[in-house]
Amino acid sequence: MSDILTALRGELRGIFADRQVRLIVLAALVIYALVYPYPYRAELLRDVPVVLVDLDRSTSSADLARQVTASEAVTLSHDARDMIAATRLVQERRAYGVLVIPEGFERALLRGSQSPVALYADASYFLMYQRVMQGAAVPLRQLGAEVEMGRLIAEGTAPDVALAQVSPAEQVEVPLFNPAAGYATYVLPAAFVLILQQTMLMGLALVATRRGQGHGHPVWRVLGRMGAWIALYAVLLPLYLIVLPALYGLPNLGNVTAVLMLGLPFVLATGLLAQCVAALFRRGEVVQVVLLAVGLPFFFLSGFAWPVEAIPAHLNWIAQIIPSTAAIDGLVRVSQMGATTPEIAHRLWHLWALVGAFATVAVSLEVLAHSSTNADHQDG
Amino acid sequence: MLAVMLREIRLILRRPALLGLVVLLPVLMLVVLTGIFRAGIPTGMAVTVVDLDRSDLSRSITRMLDAAPEITVHEQALSLSDARAQIVAGQTRGAIYLPQGLERDILRGARPEIVIFYDNQHMSAGSMVARGARGAIDTALAGQRLSIRQGQGEAPVQATARIQPIPLQAHALFNPAFDYVHFLLAALVPTVLQIIAAAATAYAISLDFGPGRHPQVLARMAGGVLPAMLGKILPYTLIFLLILGLSDIALYGWLGVPLRGSLLLMATGAVLFVLCVQLIGAAAFVLTRDMGRAASIIAVITAPAFGFMGLGFPREAMSQLAQAWGALIPGTWYVQLRIDQSLRQTPLDIAVWSVVWLACIALALGAVVLLRLVRLRRAIEAAT
Repeated sequence: MSDILTALRGELRGIFADRQVRLIVLAALVIYALVYPYPYRAELLRDVPVVLVDLDRSTSSADLARQVTASEAVTLSHDARDMIAATRLVQERRAYGVLVIPEGFERALLRGSQSPVALYADASYFLMYQRVMQGAAVPLRQLGAEVEMGRLIAEGTAPDVALAQVSPAEQVEVPLFNPAAGYATYVLPAAFVLILQQTMLMGLALVATRRGQGHGHPVWRVLGRMGAWIALYAVLLPLYLIVLPALYGLPNLGNVTAVLMLGLPFVLATGLLAQCVAALFRRGEVVQVVLLAVGLPFFFLSGFAWPVEAIPAHLNWIAQIIPSTAAIDGLVRVSQMGATTPEIAHRLWHLWALVGAFATVAVSLEVLAHSSTNADHQDG
Repeated sequence: MLAVMLREIRLILRRPALLGLVVLLPVLMLVVLTGIFRAGIPTGMAVTVVDLDRSDLSRSITRMLDAAPEITVHEQALSLSDARAQIVAGQTRGAIYLPQGLERDILRGARPEIVIFYDNQHMSAGSMVARGARGAIDTALAGQRLSIRQGQGEAPVQATARIQPIPLQAHALFNPAFDYVHFLLAALVPTVLQIIAAAATAYAISLDFGPGRHPQVLARMAGGVLPAMLGKILPYTLIFLLILGLSDIALYGWLGVPLRGSLLLMATGAVLFVLCVQLIGAAAFVLTRDMGRAASIIAVITAPAFGFMGLGFPREAMSQLAQAWGALIPGTWYVQLRIDQSLRQTPLDIAVWSVVWLACIALALGAVVLLRLVRLRRAIEAAT
């Protein structure tokens, strides 16, 4: 027992007495909490600028332009004579789409034949593309329905029958859990988990590279360190995953117990992984560079931002070794989607399995390090 | 200077840690990132159909849904709460609700509701699921509308024209195949390389200019502190440019992303980008003279850089301050240049600005490093 306590105190000293580790484990958390969310503060894309190329210049085309501008998603910000001038505006990033109303638009409409319009949306930016497509498609569809209905009524169809013919069913779309499609709401809950993991990995691996020879049985030593991590992250994890999202006004459906139940094996698995990383790379400088480099790939491997369905099976298998993969999925489902503990049970088991595996490696590393220093002593 | 460069190359070959950081690590990250995105846009994401109607029409809608490339009808749920639980647990990404009496109400003209529920917390997947479902239901209902009109004696061609008086011809500008994957990859590789190049350069410099090291040996060898520093940095410039070239071969060769711009501009941009990033590493080190603190500065600048580049959430929608911060990061301009010169086919007079910005950043950082080196030289001269 005293061996465990000695190791626990030693680990806490290693974290708090080292200025650089303190900087990573504490200060970096604060800085990242301010910097990472900064680009997404606006949350929503409103009134994305679109160029209008109106080749018809009729009352109907002006009507259509007005309806598109009235939508929340897009606004017709520029007028261009032709497609070449319009494309240039898009290339300059002053607009993200082009709406072309061809010559003869009104004439075709009055004649009762099809009167197409063309929409070019900038597909280099996924989010812009979607906003432009949706923003312009909805008013266009509405206008089309009005025209069709007007024709049916003119032909003598009763208005309610005409409506049912034009739109036989009402299509309703319900975006769950992030109804406003806010970008911060989408990306931050996952990003916070990853930041917590990367700073923890870096800080604790540095402690491990700078640690001298410990005393007592390897198992007690590892257990003591695990105690130190729990003590520290019992404060940091709730601050980062519960208080911080609340400060940013992110919706939270989760119960604290489930977050903590996932948090415990997440912290332990990450801390133990840090021991393995330290043993693998040995030098503090190398550990830092490697962990900085893998942050973004880890995020995309987690299957959060990039759907797991699109990640090749063997890579996905490797991704399961990284604690953030299971932790991001589990914690996002708990805090953002209101999942209950049984619903994320497989993630809990997953994280505890990682704890078991990494603990075995960490203890073996301790034993190896111990025997090699003993051998050194005998040689000397 | 050449002597210092040769010495540096020998140093890289002798030190496994250095070799691993500047060659193995970036190549491995390149392979992993390419692996993640190689398969392209996700297909066959699972949705549930809550079919309370069990009619010919509801079955035909279900078939249409299953045929949409984005989604697969995973299983049937008996109630909405079952469907919701499946979404929460991660078994499916959405649910389509077909109410009881759907077919009858449509034929009666009662306009029943069809509801698409989708998981918008996982927004990228959720929006694709919604798009697939929307398209499938549109197609199914259009078929319904057509058959009613044909039942009233309209010819098929005429009926098709009349149910869509204002058809929308949608085009994906610059990216007709809508291959968003390659944009991500084109941006992620430089972002990760930016982190590695800055940190590895700082590390390499620390090996000669750090506390307890003897930079005067190098300075004497090269004939000055500045040539010594250049000789130290340039071998890595070559290595990182080679790795960038490798990623370009993967992207434009193997993955077949079209390259429709000026190669000269791309190459100039690449050289300036790598130099800028290395100068960030050099500046961070000469300002702190401590690898730990330098790494922290580099981490704060480069680790969150991806968000500021605007590939996910566009730069134009960010606050002024966020845009300004993004403008200071070399990767922002280099990624913009790559996208401009590959798919967007941006005219030179617009695209050249990214390169001008990169040159400005390089000059500013170069000046910072130079000023510190002048001081360092004085310190060295005073010591010897």
